[in-house]
Amino acid sequence: MTREKKVSITIDNRKVEAKAGLTILQAAREAGVDIPSLCALEHLPSYGACRLCVVEVDGIRGFPTSCTTPVEEGMVIRTDTAEVRTLRQEVLKLLLSEHPASCLFCGEKDDCTEFQGTIRKVGVTTGCHYCPNDTLCELQDIVEKVGLTETSYPVYYRNFPLEKEDPFYDRDYNLCILCGRCVRVCNDIRLNGTLSFKQRGKQTTIGPAFGRTHLEAGCEFCGACVAVCPTGALSAKVSKWSGKPDGIVESTCPYCPTGCTLDLKVKDGEVVDVSADYDSPTEHGLICVKGRFAIPEYVMSPDRLAIPTILGPEGYDYINWNIALNQAAEKIKEAGAKGVCVVVSPDLSNEDLFTAQKFAREVIGTEAILSPVIYDMGSDLRAFVDLVLTSEPIDSVESAKGILSIGLDTTYGFTPLGIAVKKAARKDTTLVTIDDGECNLDFLSEEAFRSNPESWPEYLDGVIRSMSGNGKKSKVPASFFKKGERNIAIVGPGAIFSKKRTEIFDRVLSMRNDLGWKVVVCHPYTNLLGMLAMGAFPGLMPGSLKSDGVLKLKDPAAVVDLKGKRKVGYFIGEVPSGGLPRCDHIIYQNALPAPEGVKPFLNLPAALFTEVPGTTISFEGRILPFNRASEPFGDSKADWWIICGIADRIKKGALKYGSVSAIQSEIKKAVPGFAGKDKKITRKKVVMEGKPAEKPLSRKVAAQGPASFRGVPLHDYVAGMKAIEERRHK
Amino acid sequence: MNKLAKKIDSAKSKWEKLNDNKEPIVYIGAASCGRAAGALDLKEGIKTFLDENKKSARIIEVGCIGPCYLEPLIDIKMPGQPRVSYNNVNAKMLGMILKSHFIDGAPHKKLALGHFGTNDIDGIPKFFDLPMLKPQVRIVLRNCGFVDPEEIDQYLAVDGYQGFMKALKTTPEDVIAVVRQAGLRGRGGAGFPTFRKWTVCRESPGEQKYLICNADEGDPGAFMNRSLIESDPHAVLEGMLIAGYAIGASKGIVYIRAEYPLAIDRLKRAIGQMREYGLLGKNILGSDFSFEIKIKEGAGAFVCGEETALIGSIEGKRGMPKSRPPFPAISGLFQSPTIINNVETLGTLPNILRNGPDWYTRFGKEGNRGTKTFSLVGKIRRPGLIEVQLGTTLREIIFDIGGGVQKNFKAIQTGGPSGGCLSEEFLDLTVDYESLASAGSIMGSGGLIVMDEDTCIVDLAKYFLDFTQKESCGKCVPCRVGTRHILEILERITNGEGQPDDLLALRTLGDTIKKGALCGLGQTAPNPVLTTLRYFRNEYLEHIKDHRCRATVCKPLIEYRVIKEKCTGCQSCVRVCPTGAITGPRSEPHNLDASKCIKCRSCYEVCRYEAIAGDAIVIRTAERQS
Repeated sequence: MTREKKVSITIDNRKVEAKAGLTILQAAREAGVDIPSLCALEHLPSYGACRLCVVEVDGIRGFPTSCTTPVEEGMVIRTDTAEVRTLRQEVLKLLLSEHPASCLFCGEKDDCTEFQGTIRKVGVTTGCHYCPNDTLCELQDIVEKVGLTETSYPVYYRNFPLEKEDPFYDRDYNLCILCGRCVRVCNDIRLNGTLSFKQRGKQTTIGPAFGRTHLEAGCEFCGACVAVCPTGALSAKVSKWSGKPDGIVESTCPYCPTGCTLDLKVKDGEVVDVSADYDSPTEHGLICVKGRFAIPEYVMSPDRLAIPTILGPEGYDYINWNIALNQAAEKIKEAGAKGVCVVVSPDLSNEDLFTAQKFAREVIGTEAILSPVIYDMGSDLRAFVDLVLTSEPIDSVESAKGILSIGLDTTYGFTPLGIAVKKAARKDTTLVTIDDGECNLDFLSEEAFRSNPESWPEYLDGVIRSMSGNGKKSKVPASFFKKGERNIAIVGPGAIFSKKRTEIFDRVLSMRNDLGWKVVVCHPYTNLLGMLAMGAFPGLMPGSLKSDGVLKLKDPAAVVDLKGKRKVGYFIGEVPSGGLPRCDHIIYQNALPAPEGVKPFLNLPAALFTEVPGTTISFEGRILPFNRASEPFGDSKADWWIICGIADRIKKGALKYGSVSAIQSEIKKAVPGFAGKDKKITRKKVVMEGKPAEKPLSRKVAAQGPASFRGVPLHDYVAGMKAIEERRHK
Repeated sequence: MNKLAKKIDSAKSKWEKLNDNKEPIVYIGAASCGRAAGALDLKEGIKTFLDENKKSARIIEVGCIGPCYLEPLIDIKMPGQPRVSYNNVNAKMLGMILKSHFIDGAPHKKLALGHFGTNDIDGIPKFFDLPMLKPQVRIVLRNCGFVDPEEIDQYLAVDGYQGFMKALKTTPEDVIAVVRQAGLRGRGGAGFPTFRKWTVCRESPGEQKYLICNADEGDPGAFMNRSLIESDPHAVLEGMLIAGYAIGASKGIVYIRAEYPLAIDRLKRAIGQMREYGLLGKNILGSDFSFEIKIKEGAGAFVCGEETALIGSIEGKRGMPKSRPPFPAISGLFQSPTIINNVETLGTLPNILRNGPDWYTRFGKEGNRGTKTFSLVGKIRRPGLIEVQLGTTLREIIFDIGGGVQKNFKAIQTGGPSGGCLSEEFLDLTVDYESLASAGSIMGSGGLIVMDEDTCIVDLAKYFLDFTQKESCGKCVPCRVGTRHILEILERITNGEGQPDDLLALRTLGDTIKKGALCGLGQTAPNPVLTTLRYFRNEYLEHIKDHRCRATVCKPLIEYRVIKEKCTGCQSCVRVCPTGAITGPRSEPHNLDASKCIKCRSCYEVCRYEAIAGDAIVIRTAERQS
């Protein structure tokens, strides 16, 4: 690391050292001098619009804004002179004349803050319905700081209509102070460009250009704009009236293998909102719509299974846990080792997966530990697993010379990767996209190859030929990629779930093996690596991914019967779509009801990742925590607790974990890396042998399904995701 | 170099032939202003006349020579005779003029305005002895109206590109030194010494540097840059070559308003000719200097004349100013060192380089060297484009060049909407950067708007604030919100609803905006209000306290009525009244129904100047009512 250059400056008659390159505002804050400011925000480029952070600097004419002026050696800065104070007050008065200010100067203000938690309650008593952002509003703090108690200018209400037609968040630009934070975060941090300033003069406002809705303008609904808005102009539909959260719990997003860090906001024991963590090393806070908006409605859904139920002659009957566990144990015992399969969701935590495989192997005595990924991938499973286990981390994308993205659109998922690709493409990296329609990376690409997946393998052949030197007859117009350079192929869901994926995987593998390409796989199976590491897979024991070299593994189809009918299926976390594996009786253990057409004889309500602790493994191999933010819904229980309960009733004392940490200490012994300091597991090359499954095994092969978690489509329970699914299919 | 030298030789001989030849030449002033006045129709008329009379002549469209009030201008040069100029030519006059020259063989003395010969002609004055032109010094405008702006050869024949070629023979540092010695200051408005900006840019590290020509002339009533580009585009482009060479730029961009189609067209043509002549491209004239020029059309935002907003606009972003530092000379277009020079600054450079700095310092005064072009408009007798030495007084400009004001002089606005409004007491103020600043105004890019007693000062301030308020980019609070409040107060005052403390509020707001706004547009936006408050405070007070508008402009404060004793019943006013508010039988005093009157002033104008008795219709203001 290079030594940081320092300059000495004087702030308010105090000599301080400041890092060169900082703005006066940053240097002052580091020195403990508070300068009021609205438009400046960490992580965002400086802007200089609100004019509240004005200071006096010797040798600079007028009143420079401290957020835009860099410190220089010997600078003499005064932040709090009478003139500066007056100017700030005058500017703030002007600013407030565009912002309904009743909550700032209201005669009832003191009582309001003392007795009323949120503005909604205030609205009931005073008729003041303006703002969903009371007590969170930065303007209120600024008014306090600048010391304004009244304003002389009339409030100019701009009469913008309330914008509610888009999913997830509402916009009331009458409250907007045009600080430009949302525009900057959308353009400079998210590289999305949905938001911009519109019109000029007093009609200036913010939104997508040309009067389009956010949905039409390609908004990712990442909610970054809502998070940075200092007023109530932008507010999340679900949480806008919740007020100040009681606490924040750091956790991990369970909706895909990226493993984004999430800050869960908890109010009155419920997860009400989520915010990103810009210091997170994986995604740098660049979370997608699912993590940002799809969690509260999912975990707090009124449809959550709360009490175990059993199928009786007249429908489902509520039963207590003791009866439920006894019933499950009895059914499994009856069926015998050959008559039972355990189906695990790849969205389960490591602890649940470890317990599940142990249950299958040690309590029932079967290797039939099945999961949707086996059925989805069919004969392509071995290629898929091979690619997944050599997938590169996100940060490696930015240094690539060439990027080939195959079937990836990062509007509503994999946004950290998408933004890394955009960043690279904005610099010198050559980006080529292959998709069956428009995709959000096209606009930065050197070439956007749009066609039916039928012809994708042919295109890849062209790439291979042009790189191996015999590109004369190649269909690729120019050879974008050169051998010996750092090239990355991204295999997205569009490729993974296309009819031609056998051929696509084959080409990508040969690009990797023969031409030195690196590969990133974007798949929907959240804890697929955890599933393999924990051994929740036929023929794969926990901790087998431990050493270097190649692990030879039999194809699941060669280990267990994938298609035959069994007496009992114990489905932990989800039922794979497509009706496989076939079972006479289904024990369904999940948080939300089973999909239509599936009639379990027993429903066991499971607690979710916000309610019970655990860990998951991201596609980069990071071991990430799920932390408890609220009580389990109703009488639901942790998955591992339910498994243990059944196990105990089949084989007394076989699986007796008292807590998650008991499971974790056992995993630490069995799985290398789990106990390690770097919180990463090792990934090794796996070669599968034996006769593969026939294909197709499942319906999902032909089409990429909707975004789902534990087998349940998010749009069934999260209102806004419906609009997004519709948009995705357009 | 040889190739170009040959072209220059042939251009010069062509030029001499043109001036001495046996063929008559008709010059038509066909810049946008001339075209608006009907120059192109006249061109057709001339062609028809020549065809019908089986005469031949060369017709040349030249640029604008300056006096707008004389448009359209037609000049005729017969073999062996000097070029004679005719003003305000219409179809009827055209016939007489052409007949006189082509058939009678002599100029039409009655219609002739002036001639360009060296010897006196009886009955026709010399053109440059005309009162409007005599006090002017034409350096930037030297070719305007004389060369065909679409012919590079004509520009070359009048020593075009000589300045650039001279520059190429010296080092860039030498060029900067020449500009320093000449004392050239930026003609865009702020008057920053050109050499200083250049030096910073030259010394900034960076492979790629840019030179931008700011032709985003947006001030209401200003047209200096348009006229120069339309009349002599090569002068500006030569200036760009010189500046580009001096700062080490290899790319030049002309940022010009899309509302200037003729100027854009002529620039494009001129750039094509430069390329053809080897004045653009790689290793120009065999030197190490390579340069390309592109045109970027602006979409009509006033704020894009501000340099950081202009850069944003070229980069494809919304034109919004950014805080400086970093200054564009260090980090500008695409984060590269960038110099932005005004059209006029660039148009001056060839002259300085060609004639040397000592020649240039002969003009102007200490610290304010050279000349400045202005568009002189408003209630002036002789509006037009003028060029004077810095240090000329406002009185000379208004009364000697402009021929005075139609009624009584009231005020002059310098520097457009960013400038200030000066009263009669400043008539002897010299026009230079410091004097104007000390009076609370600015030089600006060169708009001079003259007002007489028919102009209401509050209404004027309102007009400019309405403009800046609408053109504010909306980024910073003081400009976006502050100008709106000022405008609202001014609207109140002109509606007769002003409050006594409004004047204090205007001052406070003006002060806040001046101190707090981000860019030049915002910081100067309150100038029209602050200066009028300072110099015309009484007019504000009259509006607020007496509800009286002495210029009879503010409609809510005035009322029209018929003076029965004077009215002859001529019905002129009845005919012009658009709402039928005036009624009455012929030869009897008319009635004016105040409830229908929209105060359009038509009856007042028609009665004052047409009716037999005159003045039968009066405008009553509060004072006269009481």
